[in-house]
Amino acid sequence: MAAAKSIQIILARQLASSVSAPILLVDAEGTLVYYNESAEAIFNRRFDETGEMTADEWTTLIAARDEDRSPIPPEERPMMKALTRRHPVSRTISLRRPEGDWRHVHVTAFPLIGERDALFGAMTIFWEI
Amino acid sequence: MRVTLWGTRGSLATPGPETARYGGNTSCVSVRGREGTMLVLDAGTGVRRLSATLNGSLRRVDILLTHLHMDHIQGLGFFGPLYRPDLAVHIWGPASSKLTLRERLMRYLSPPLFPVCLRELPSEITLHEVPCGEVDIGEFRVSSALVCHPGPTVGYRIEEAGGGVLTYLPDHEPALGVNAFPSLPREWTSGGGLAAEADLLVHDSQYDAHEYSGHVGWGHSSLGQSLAFAALSEVRHFVPFHHDPSHSDTDLDRLYGEVIADAKPAFQVTPGQEGTMFEI
Repeated sequence: MAAAKSIQIILARQLASSVSAPILLVDAEGTLVYYNESAEAIFNRRFDETGEMTADEWTTLIAARDEDRSPIPPEERPMMKALTRRHPVSRTISLRRPEGDWRHVHVTAFPLIGERDALFGAMTIFWEI
Repeated sequence: MRVTLWGTRGSLATPGPETARYGGNTSCVSVRGREGTMLVLDAGTGVRRLSATLNGSLRRVDILLTHLHMDHIQGLGFFGPLYRPDLAVHIWGPASSKLTLRERLMRYLSPPLFPVCLRELPSEITLHEVPCGEVDIGEFRVSSALVCHPGPTVGYRIEEAGGGVLTYLPDHEPALGVNAFPSLPREWTSGGGLAAEADLLVHDSQYDAHEYSGHVGWGHSSLGQSLAFAALSEVRHFVPFHHDPSHSDTDLDRLYGEVIADAKPAFQVTPGQEGTMFEI
């Protein structure tokens, strides 16, 4: 049986599933544990098809570059920075979906931190420009 | 383990002839282990009757609070063992993001709400903040996890070495924000890990379906939702609990008769009544 998710992650998924903005949700290890229906356009696939993806898997699927068109390494992407540095990150980047074109988006990522400073994961919201 | 219900009512003590059978005292359940360890789950008004049954040879009691809403702590100041200097009382409960468990308890156990301060109680009191992973209390292994209910609230899973499993989720709204509950697997459901394959599940069943629709987000479940949660958790025996103060014995008989007949659960269901005892 899969390990039970924390209430912070469960409620974050419920929130993500009920809003229209594309949202990705990762756990404390960076594993992508959920993305909502609007975010399916980012992966060109439904969450039901992909299931959970490790940090290596999902950061490989989506290419990212900054406003100077320089590639952004996985550890410098907003979601991973929010996770490792435990603070919110907001910036404009370009994303390329699998078999897709480049899209200019504004990204806001923030960590999910609970009692006693426990880190549960992070969420990223995409705003199309 | 022996599990006894001392208070089954939710939100507000509701004494009177119309609630005499299911009971009017608020949440309190005792758990007695084979080796004599005594756990008290929540300290609603039902805890007063429980304390009268504890014998003088007891040296330690562990009170496991799910949260600090009034209906779960109101009996604390009337729990006899707190006034016994020969007794060790361990109180487990959630802190908040800004206040420790001690600070939160002192808000009630101090004037003007209560004449005696926590520090003035003669028993040897030790506080433990939860959730804190798995801990051993006597012959029990106790797990706690935050669950869906307003404010810091945990549920408890209590396992006896070589024995059964009790899960206690008296205030719980796992259906919040979920379309057609339960549409997600157990690991994605609030409380799912605590209740998995429990021998006995004591769970919030405050409303009927119509009442729930007017109280979404209040932190409680309808009987239908709690039956669905019990099925998802694959429990063996389910005890609906935390009855709404507006429900008389007659109302509860009708509600359980209709909903259980409709749901046809594959597990045993025993609606929570004060004084009921279960052996696991």
